[in-house]
Amino acid sequence: MRIGIVSPYSFDVPGGVQNHIMDLAEALIGLGHTVSVLAPAEDDAELPAYVVPAGRAVPLPYNGSVARISFGPVSTARVRRWLRRGEFDVLHVHEPFTPSLSFLAVLSARGPVVATFHTAMTRSRALSAAQNFLQPAMEKITARIAVSELARKVQVEHLGGGAVEIPNGVAVAKFASAASLPGWPGEGGALGFLGRFTEPRKGFPLLRTAYVALARKRPGLRLLVAGPGDREELYSDIPDDLHDRVEFLGLVSESDKARMLRSVDVYVAPNTGGESFGMILTEAMAAGAAIAASDLDAFRRVLDGGRAGALFPNGDANALAGLLGELLDDPARRAELASCAGLAVRAFDWPSVANRVLEVYATSIEATDGRVFDDEWS
Amino acid sequence: MPGMWWVVGVVVLAAIFSAYLGWTAQRVERLHTRAQSAERALDAHLLRRAAAAAVVAEQAESVELYAAARLALDAEPGERETAENDLTRQLRTVTLDPADPAARTLIGTSRRVMLARQVHTDLVRDAQSARRRVLVRMLGLNRRYPRPEYFDIVESALPDLPPPTVPSPAPVPSPLPVPSPAPIPPAEETRPVQAV
Repeated sequence: MRIGIVSPYSFDVPGGVQNHIMDLAEALIGLGHTVSVLAPAEDDAELPAYVVPAGRAVPLPYNGSVARISFGPVSTARVRRWLRRGEFDVLHVHEPFTPSLSFLAVLSARGPVVATFHTAMTRSRALSAAQNFLQPAMEKITARIAVSELARKVQVEHLGGGAVEIPNGVAVAKFASAASLPGWPGEGGALGFLGRFTEPRKGFPLLRTAYVALARKRPGLRLLVAGPGDREELYSDIPDDLHDRVEFLGLVSESDKARMLRSVDVYVAPNTGGESFGMILTEAMAAGAAIAASDLDAFRRVLDGGRAGALFPNGDANALAGLLGELLDDPARRAELASCAGLAVRAFDWPSVANRVLEVYATSIEATDGRVFDDEWS
Repeated sequence: MPGMWWVVGVVVLAAIFSAYLGWTAQRVERLHTRAQSAERALDAHLLRRAAAAAVVAEQAESVELYAAARLALDAEPGERETAENDLTRQLRTVTLDPADPAARTLIGTSRRVMLARQVHTDLVRDAQSARRRVLVRMLGLNRRYPRPEYFDIVESALPDLPPPTVPSPAPVPSPLPVPSPAPIPPAEETRPVQAV
């Protein structure tokens, strides 16, 4: 299949959407498809072979951060030329309602158009107000994908029209091959937590209680914490004598996240609710960590009913401490959990996700009976 | 000669307006064509699902499931939604073995039914909202095409649907060749199906 993908944001700046597009494009190419990605970039920028530059990107404050986008008559001409030459069976745009290449491509395209929505946009009220103006563009989109339950909700409530939920894939190979941090996990055992520790539903207080109890009996046991938050706030609730056994990394990059997950004996997900999918669990599974998680429905599903990770009763710090103690004392059990997790995580690997996206492409092509052509929309 | 400018203005306005009319007519046509294609695709996927269900029923010797699959395959347009919903209900009660190829086909076709239904619903909504526009009604464009109707069936996803696992890293041949236009249902099935 010939697939044209449009990225709204430039690849110079790393970001969730850009990573998603690159991983998806590579997975699709791996499955034997022809993929071209149009993205804002200088003509001489260093890019993967499948990326077509669409000209310089300009910074635009968007959704709380700065996005680099291309927009305007020059970009429009480039989009059209790319569409004409590509002869795509399906056009896949990301975040089509930002002022970006994606929006231009939707306007210029005819035929099967699939759109993926990544963020739950904060400017959704403005979006609802612009709905009449956007209607002709929205009508061109044949099928919609949302990467999360929240993104799907925004799509349904503010723009009308449904969306298929297909979560991000996990780049299993990247996580599995990362090197652990120097000195970790160490002799005395190491526990890991990643996330916003100040947010109650992430359940960090449960882990803290369990860790403090365990650390009294196990002099070498250490805790590795990563995620956004204030260092002082983290340490203020931990007894002073344990401070040098708790390492705080702060907000970490994708590659450091992989290293962090490779550095622990047991990854702990004590979330008390609200996780719709559990992306971090799939990443920990890919990294080969043994997992201890609360028995939320979402976690139970991801962890293959408890085979790919040990579950403890949600909200019970004593049970968590007991479970962690057992796991730390039993390397064979940890290895078994990790190897089951390694099998189960394949379902969340990019090739599997790409296959689900391909089904949406097929549905979209069937519903339009045609190729993607350049369309005069005057 | 102020009078001439007035004439020029009117001509320009008329030209713009007629271009807009042409664009609107094209848009209405496109939306209806798409809704029809989506309906044909949905129909084809429903037939495939019913056929896959019949195979599974034969293997499992489940009389009820087989009957539901037959009814879905043979349903008259007016009874189609009920028959498909009955089949979905039956499918929810069977336990499928993910290792069985027939079961995998059934799971796959069920997923495709859901996707096709989703797209069909969206496209019907777009077409219907275009038909409601004042200009479209004034020009009688809505009378040129049959009104597309929703196809009202319940969520058909099978529970605990294992995502398609890829036996990595062997290169997998393209699992979805460019689909040829969906098999067109027999002509006597005059669609659109009426919503119940």
